[in-house]
Amino acid sequence: MSKIKIENVCYVYDGGTPFETVALDNINIEIRENTVTGIIGHTGSGKSTLVQMFNGLIKPTSGKILLDGVDIWEKPKEISKVRFRVGLVMQYPEYQLFEETVRADIAFGPKNMGLDDAEVARRVHEAASFVGLDESSLDKSPFDLSGGQKRRAAIAGVMAMRPEVLVLDEPSAGLDPAGKNTIFDGIKRYAAATGAAVIIVSHSMDDMAKYCEDLVVLSHSKVVMSGKRNEVFGQGELLEKIGLGVPQMTGLMMMLREKGIDVPADIYTVDDAEAALARILGGAL
Amino acid sequence: MSSIALGQYYPSKSFMHRLDPRMKIIIGIAYIVASFLCTNVFSFALLLLSAVVLIVISRIPIKVVLRSIKAIIFIMLFTAVLNVFWTKGKPEELLFSWQFINIYSSGLYNAAFIVVRIVSMIIGTSIFLTYTTTPIQLTDALERLLSPLKVIKVPVHEFAMMMTIALRFIPTIVEETGKIMSAQKARGADFTNGSISKRAKALVPVLIPLFVSAFRRAGELATAMTCRCYRGGEGRTRMTKLTLTYRDFVALFFIAAFIAGIVLLNIFAPGYTMGG
Amino acid sequence: MSYIEIRDLNFSYRDDEKPLSVLRDVSLDIEKGEYVAIVGHNGSGKSTLAKLLNLVIDDYEGFEGSIKVDGKEITSSDMTEDDIYELRKKIGMVFQNPDNQLVATIVEEDVAFGPENLGLPREEIRARVDGALMTVGMTAYAKHEPHRLSGGQKQRIAIAGIIAMKPECIIFDESTAMLDPMGRREVVDTMEKLNREEGKTVITITHYMDEAVRADRVIVIDDGKVVLDGKPSEIFAEDKLLRQCGLDLPLCADLLLRLRARGFSLKGEINTPEQCAQTIADALGK
Repeated sequence: MSKIKIENVCYVYDGGTPFETVALDNINIEIRENTVTGIIGHTGSGKSTLVQMFNGLIKPTSGKILLDGVDIWEKPKEISKVRFRVGLVMQYPEYQLFEETVRADIAFGPKNMGLDDAEVARRVHEAASFVGLDESSLDKSPFDLSGGQKRRAAIAGVMAMRPEVLVLDEPSAGLDPAGKNTIFDGIKRYAAATGAAVIIVSHSMDDMAKYCEDLVVLSHSKVVMSGKRNEVFGQGELLEKIGLGVPQMTGLMMMLREKGIDVPADIYTVDDAEAALARILGGAL
Repeated sequence: MSSIALGQYYPSKSFMHRLDPRMKIIIGIAYIVASFLCTNVFSFALLLLSAVVLIVISRIPIKVVLRSIKAIIFIMLFTAVLNVFWTKGKPEELLFSWQFINIYSSGLYNAAFIVVRIVSMIIGTSIFLTYTTTPIQLTDALERLLSPLKVIKVPVHEFAMMMTIALRFIPTIVEETGKIMSAQKARGADFTNGSISKRAKALVPVLIPLFVSAFRRAGELATAMTCRCYRGGEGRTRMTKLTLTYRDFVALFFIAAFIAGIVLLNIFAPGYTMGG
Repeated sequence: MSYIEIRDLNFSYRDDEKPLSVLRDVSLDIEKGEYVAIVGHNGSGKSTLAKLLNLVIDDYEGFEGSIKVDGKEITSSDMTEDDIYELRKKIGMVFQNPDNQLVATIVEEDVAFGPENLGLPREEIRARVDGALMTVGMTAYAKHEPHRLSGGQKQRIAIAGIIAMKPECIIFDESTAMLDPMGRREVVDTMEKLNREEGKTVITITHYMDEAVRADRVIVIDDGKVVLDGKPSEIFAEDKLLRQCGLDLPLCADLLLRLRARGFSLKGEINTPEQCAQTIADALGK
């Protein structure tokens, strides 16, 4: 069964004024349980609006958002409960840190849930271990951490609510390769431990290829493609047309095919490419 | 999200929009003075007429103008009502009397005058200074109008630079506030329910990141400005030059004629004169 | 004599009690007209190095060594305010956050900010602003408000603001880190254009290897030290060292190195995807 189902969702800004803009136009998406789903699109494609719909920060103008089959806006007063079940990590989340210590900051979410102190402490400890923050950094001020550590602390602040769905908007933006790997490792650890569905928004086709099983492509407020990774990346030409491009390895394979080399089409990561080319080069020798 | 309006500038290319902002400041002040000069029915009628003319030539939709009046409608009605009840006219002006409430025709006149004065002042200043002039034009014009004060060591350039930077960063900070609020709501923060003290406390997680970020931005901006050879107003030249055109002189002529008209009507036209 | 000469540079910040060493024994020469990428992970000291070249560090107490720009020792104690001003005219800097370096609320007025500070005559400023906006391809946005532009566009305005001051050298301090791929491409294309067509010395500080690959020369900094310095292809050959420095190879280069490690003979360039495809095709005789 799908964890989240978005049905015919539209969102209009400044409706009824001359500045009316359609941010989302009849969106239909299913997010599967225990799966990493990637959402790809340009800046301004409607991604950021969509992301804030999963946890009820933005209410759709029309359409439904079903979490485990129940409309999240059925009881608008209980929308905060949805926010605990669907955790959202916004872009550059380190700018939300405010407490005196990292420990207190991570505890903000669990405390708002009304958990008792022992449970909060347990959650904080667990979340810190997911993102790889050691115990000694928990008593520091969040403002004294390095850029990458701040980001991890902020993500831990959402993980500590133990959401069933973890949504992350550009979790690795601006980080160096090492920092980026640490973040994605943390996300993987969280998903493995909790069985949560993960939704990642990114611009990077290569990251999507590496980490996601399902993909949704947004362009100009509409879903233009969605499905399994190979179903989406299989439509390379359409992706190029939207201006998003394909993963580098897929592009390399397209170039090789043009040169008359018979390489498989379903290659998205360096690992895929290495295996396929080793076979071909081995056969040629 | 990008529709955060700075001030209420209404883009258009009307006669009014193309006036020199310095002239608009001067005329705007003159217009306020004029509204206080009015004393009788005819001069107030001219004032009201001028407000209508301003709306027409600035090509600001009447709906937009009414919005700015709506903001002060309560204060306006309040003063009008006070005038109606508190004006003590001559016995022959008494229109209505019940117990201690006495309403005189002079009271009604005074109330109408007050309303006309407030409405015209709001329309006049907002048309000259907000609807047809961007905040940055205003800042720039103020810097130039006040530049003689530099002689007596008033830091005019510095104030103008501060204003400019503030205007530049308002939309950025507004947007950032929205983002931080969303982020904290995503962690269960509640800004709408509970007692006032509870709601004020709920703002802490928004204000602290906002301050931290404002300081960071200020530091980065200062560095960037230093790198762009900024060292205060001294030795600085400007790309844009404000030049007065025939339009500005036309406008100046009209405002002068308008004030003269009001004064003349005050003196020569008969009719009810404002008073206690 | 090189355009920029850095000799035995050591730099440390005073942090609470013990000084925090940021740069150690750095010696570098950068020639006029070069396109250099300085790469390293966050906190490797690369940004401090860039800021030192423009003397925009708060505290120089922890400084040792010498930096010469265009023959003049900028770190000597007899540098006056005016000398620093002249230095900043020569070396322009574009920073990371496009929002925090734009001053004015109208694009062209922002671009004019630098030339206005230089006290240039009105007509000259106008000409420079128009020229700079043309160079970055933003002429159509001259009257727009910066906060309504995309990140890449804002950054191009920031670049135009620097170009309008006509510096000899432009330093890009992680200017692409906050941009989406499209914005990043716009900015890197602009850098390349400034170097190839306008002859500017371009120094770009980044941790994106696929940007570094477009420079003539890559300098890898780790833990405050220069660990590698050479052409992009020479740098990528040191893949193990790069990874130790917390950096990645461009994916295509990574692929070819892995295949070479499996014993396949793949001769040829590996910097760009096109070169990689050619190298593979050559090996297969196609």
